[in-house]
Amino acid sequence: MILDWERQPSPRDLLTLILAGGQGERLHPLTKDRSKPAVPFAGSYRIIDFTLSNCLNSNLRRIYLLTQYKSQSLDRHLRNGWSIHNPELGEFIEPVPPQRRFSTNWYDGTADAVFQNIYLLQQQKPALVVILSGDHVYRMDYRPLIRFHLEKKARATIAALVYPRRLSSFFGIMQVDSNQEVTSFVEKPADPPAMPGRPNESLVNMGVYVFNTETLVRAVIEDSKMDSTHDFGRDVLPALVQGGGIYAYFFEKEDGTTAYWRDIGTLESYYQAEMDFLQENPPFDLWNPNWPIRSYHPQVPPAWIAPREGQVFNSLVSSGCRIHGKVIHSILSPSVFVGENTQITDSIICNDVTIGDGARLRKAIVDKRIKIPAGFVVGEDPEADRERFLVTESGISVIPTGTLFD
Amino acid sequence: MRDIGKMAQLLVVEDERSLRELYQLELESEGYEILLAKDGIEAVELVEKSPPDLIIMDIRMPRMDGLEAMGKILDRYKKIPVIIHTAYQGYKDNFLSWNADAYVVKSSDMSELKAKISEILTHKKNR
Repeated sequence: MILDWERQPSPRDLLTLILAGGQGERLHPLTKDRSKPAVPFAGSYRIIDFTLSNCLNSNLRRIYLLTQYKSQSLDRHLRNGWSIHNPELGEFIEPVPPQRRFSTNWYDGTADAVFQNIYLLQQQKPALVVILSGDHVYRMDYRPLIRFHLEKKARATIAALVYPRRLSSFFGIMQVDSNQEVTSFVEKPADPPAMPGRPNESLVNMGVYVFNTETLVRAVIEDSKMDSTHDFGRDVLPALVQGGGIYAYFFEKEDGTTAYWRDIGTLESYYQAEMDFLQENPPFDLWNPNWPIRSYHPQVPPAWIAPREGQVFNSLVSSGCRIHGKVIHSILSPSVFVGENTQITDSIICNDVTIGDGARLRKAIVDKRIKIPAGFVVGEDPEADRERFLVTESGISVIPTGTLFD
Repeated sequence: MRDIGKMAQLLVVEDERSLRELYQLELESEGYEILLAKDGIEAVELVEKSPPDLIIMDIRMPRMDGLEAMGKILDRYKKIPVIIHTAYQGYKDNFLSWNADAYVVKSSDMSELKAKISEILTHKKNR
């Protein structure tokens, strides 16, 4: 398909690839039985729902998810919650595990995942390819990004989070000229370079890219012949920048404040990002009727809070929950049962968990289908907790699926 | 990589016998050592046994075509240069053909092919 710079691209000109193959080792044990994008988030969602909702709300409707490890629960979630597109209209959301057409290996880095699927690009022949990550939580309209890419007649455009410079050392940082063309990349710099004219801010690579298809195909083929980590941020884009025509699209709120974007990499960042949604002014509005976050919702009744002893403060409580105890500053996924005289504080409780009478949970992540026995206590004695569970540096206890108590 | 001065070994993958023989004659007279394969499957097997310095690959062949064979070979031996050598222009639009180092349309005059071979081998030596 020939790219016509002057007109708006139609949905058929655009193909979206979501990189959803991350092992998520640092999220273990939440990724014990599932891939990172399938990890539950904010009560009734999974991490992937945020990126897929961004796509839906931005009218990107031709989507391949490049999956890899432990993809069964992600596949099921896509089937149950996201079978909403009409293939007769050329719309789809389709998981693509490694086909090993040529390669005898699994995906070896994000660029290799695309390289191994060049035949999909050949079949679809889109003008532009949007590349996204399946494990980020943010709200973004991709349409202005695509418009920017077309206006600049770019070869590739990278979404750049405008971020406080002093906090930018953990990310890939871009430098740009006054026309927003990228001049260089630095990975996790000790002293991050500032944006032009804004000394206190840096440009963080969000892992959100728009490529001209031709540029993308040539770039991943070239990278495939290199001894590299086959990573877009580390290898492909720095090499492309040498040839020019790579632009940075600034992602920030309309009022110029920092937009919310989280790479859910570790248990700490997972916990913190969830807690962000308990604020009175959450990072972005889950209630916004113009930007619904879609998910799969089980057929269960509304949450029910018992009279007198059932108390809920500052929490997200999903459908199907029954609460006889006290829930404070916590997130409950669907169908959690909370017994009498319990106290749940600063915790994340996943689907179908039962919490026995008199239990006290503080700063705990309880994965699906656990039966917490009566009188159980976690989060009060870190030493004792460490003997039984994984406890993070900041003191979050993680109780993985399959844990039995006597 | 082979020592400078040693004859470069080329693998010619071509299903038509008469063309195979013609290319062998022509390229041997240029001073190359020639290996022959008559389709993609043979090519993949031959490369496994002894990786050549360069591959000249036809596309339309029975059993396994050249694009598939090239994909399989480059997965294992990503530094072997491949020249696609086909009678058709149309495969240039196929992204899978972009994996090759050059695309030469077959012609009775073999000078373009010979020039590409020597250009790529020189470049490889200097790399």
